[in-house]
Amino acid sequence: MIRLIVTRLVLSAVLVVIASLAIFVLMSFVPGDPARTILGANATPDLVARLREQLGLDQPLPVQYGEWLAGVLHGDLGQSVLSGDPVAQLIAVRLPVTLSLLLLSTLAISVIGTVVGLGSAVRGGPLGRLLDTVSLVGLALPSYWVAIVLVALFAVAIRVFPATGYQPFVDGPVPWFLSLVLPVAALSLGGITIVAKQMRDSALDVLGRDYIRVLRASGIRERSIVFKHVLRNAALPSLTVLGITVVGALTGAVFVENVFVLPGLGSLVTQATTSHDLPVVLGVGVVFTLVVIVVNLVVDVLYGVLNPKVRVR
Amino acid sequence: MPASRLPVRALLAGVTAVAIALTASACSDAASKGGASGSTKGGTLTTQFAGIPISLNPALGGSGGSAIFTALPYDSLVYQTGDGKLIPDLATKWSFNSTNTELTLTIRDGVTFTDGEKLDAAAVKASIEYFLKAGGGDVRYAGPVDSVTAPSADTVTITYKSPYPDGPFFLTQYWGVGQIIGPKGIADPKSLLTKSDGTGQYAYAASQSVTNSSYTYVKNEKYFNPDAQQYDKVVVKVIGDPSATLSAVTTGQASFAGLNPTTAANAKSSGLKLVTAPFFTWGLTNVDYQGTIAPALKNKDVRQAMALAIDRGALASALGADYNQGNGQLGAKGTDGYVDGYGYEQDVQKAKSLLAGAGYPNGFTLTVLTENVLDNQTTISQAIASDLGKVGITVKLDVKNTVPDFIQASLSKKYAAVIWPVIGATSAQVLANFIQPGVTNPFGNADPTLTKLYADAQSAADASARTAVFEQITKASNDAAWFVPVVSTDNIFAVGKDLTGVTASALNPNPLPIAPDPAYAWKAAK
Repeated sequence: MIRLIVTRLVLSAVLVVIASLAIFVLMSFVPGDPARTILGANATPDLVARLREQLGLDQPLPVQYGEWLAGVLHGDLGQSVLSGDPVAQLIAVRLPVTLSLLLLSTLAISVIGTVVGLGSAVRGGPLGRLLDTVSLVGLALPSYWVAIVLVALFAVAIRVFPATGYQPFVDGPVPWFLSLVLPVAALSLGGITIVAKQMRDSALDVLGRDYIRVLRASGIRERSIVFKHVLRNAALPSLTVLGITVVGALTGAVFVENVFVLPGLGSLVTQATTSHDLPVVLGVGVVFTLVVIVVNLVVDVLYGVLNPKVRVR
Repeated sequence: MPASRLPVRALLAGVTAVAIALTASACSDAASKGGASGSTKGGTLTTQFAGIPISLNPALGGSGGSAIFTALPYDSLVYQTGDGKLIPDLATKWSFNSTNTELTLTIRDGVTFTDGEKLDAAAVKASIEYFLKAGGGDVRYAGPVDSVTAPSADTVTITYKSPYPDGPFFLTQYWGVGQIIGPKGIADPKSLLTKSDGTGQYAYAASQSVTNSSYTYVKNEKYFNPDAQQYDKVVVKVIGDPSATLSAVTTGQASFAGLNPTTAANAKSSGLKLVTAPFFTWGLTNVDYQGTIAPALKNKDVRQAMALAIDRGALASALGADYNQGNGQLGAKGTDGYVDGYGYEQDVQKAKSLLAGAGYPNGFTLTVLTENVLDNQTTISQAIASDLGKVGITVKLDVKNTVPDFIQASLSKKYAAVIWPVIGATSAQVLANFIQPGVTNPFGNADPTLTKLYADAQSAADASARTAVFEQITKASNDAAWFVPVVSTDNIFAVGKDLTGVTASALNPNPLPIAPDPAYAWKAAK
């Protein structure tokens, strides 16, 4: 297990470099010029050229990337082209927002998805059929649309939750939680249905196995069978799906943060992309890559915990 | 009751209690939060702005509505009221010499910057000179400045290389050159990104702000006229998403927000007050005025035929008649130089006849540059293309997805015509877009008649003489049909029930909360 973690961490460094290079290359194809964005439509070409030089944009692309990478290796993610703020500082301020969103969403997806999926598998009947239908609907609804509907219902029509904004945890856990209820709901809905569906299918598969019949015939209590044997075995494929769903939620967070005006990394990278603020896009890209690596690592470790065969390998 | 069930029930009970507490707390929280609080003065004003600040340094920041980020902490020399009137701010009076080349301003006494330095003529001179060399994109609005002098402690003289009667207009709160920066800030411009150094009603509070998300300004205790300060704190939230903007202003999370025609309808039905003012004049600019790459455009009859082809009323209706007006002349209604009852109207037969007379009976093909950021879904561009098609001009739209990309493409001189909005409080200001090199004049073309009229407007003796020239400009512009005007679109703002005093007009379509005179400031509703 330790070897697995160490190997993954080494590979993650390579992955970060590849991801940042991919972002850099892609951004270079995006039309537009940050100097022109900053100076506006009426700036003279001389003024634009001067600013391009100040920002280092007149350098060849490999030089620009090399300088950025050298900075990163020295712990410097560079400065925002637009605001002049250190990228690390911008990320540090916004990371708690996105992490709060992701952690609560992961919690909601895993707990609610598991409970609903397992429940429908054990109880069967209409609940199972309903879940099949709902999961399809949940998959089809984009989180952006769900977010708008949730705001219209629970923030505008019935003013239970705030429509926009984020309250830091240090201002109190209740305002923090309330500011995240609707965003988390919007971000989690699709994931809950996917995990629930996966859990139901896996649980049904396990429930049909011979050893479950043997356990029942041996007089083991049904609750014990479900939680000790069915859940543990059905959780493995669901865990894979959960990992993929959480990574997907990272993309969804970009949209959800914009709808709910959350000052997280998603809204930061949206603004940075539209204004061609490359250092910020690269910085957030690195953080997103790290989040994906950590999620995959956690899934792998949990796999090992749940399945001794994996641990042995 | 089996002992094993107790924890489950306790858990359920606990969850229920927490849910009730949270809901109650949410209700009270939602009820207590408002965009503007306090019955008269004090409290917090929360406003929305759609874009992030270009810079918090006034010399590098944005103009117009985006000036809110710098206008709050930096007082301007002159203040423009909602109806467009210019009144004293840091300059208590100003006057031009007889040739409109020398502007003399008297600087207010007893004013200090937030860093404690005293405001005087030397500080104003230093601030303007810093603006001119700082490298900001709006430097052209400062005018053809030759020199800035401070002949006495309270007098500043700006000398222009050519007449510039718009000088005081561009020294208002909407333009960086008018926003005066303290000497310490000028000495260390980087410090202005985290700490404001102005004499304004509020000071930027970096510790309470989140870059590109929300900007907090706290009351400046050193402000020269405390009576004019209405709030303890002003928060500017950056909300770009239209539905989020609507939600914020509808639920009272913001007291003021910019809307589009779609969200405006919803805001109105929610009982919010709307403040509107004409802002953009959309049109097609024949940037290849001399026919370098599209010879047809050199012919005035062809350009006039293009102007006659457009059904402006239909386009305004399609965009939403409440907030858009078909406009057949250079400036929007309400601006100086607008001529009532004048302007192009659709006349397809006459357009075809002009084209035939110019040697294009079967029309011609034209690639037109446009973008889909300001022209949402290219509605305006497509309407123009469709109408030109009706007189035989086949338009191929080249749509850019970003404004910088559009600007870059226009400056490449590969397009003979562009669709782009123009603004200006006078017809001469709008005309400046075409007679000066830039995005709407990439070829650097000139029209002697228009150039002369523009110069006449600059040297006109008084306001009425200027208006007369402005009207001549409007008519000469239509005659030249360099710019084919199509539609005027409004700036639309929602104002919460807790806010009063917000006004806007064609002369000032971007309301800002602050004013040196309490009569013009935004206030919490009683």
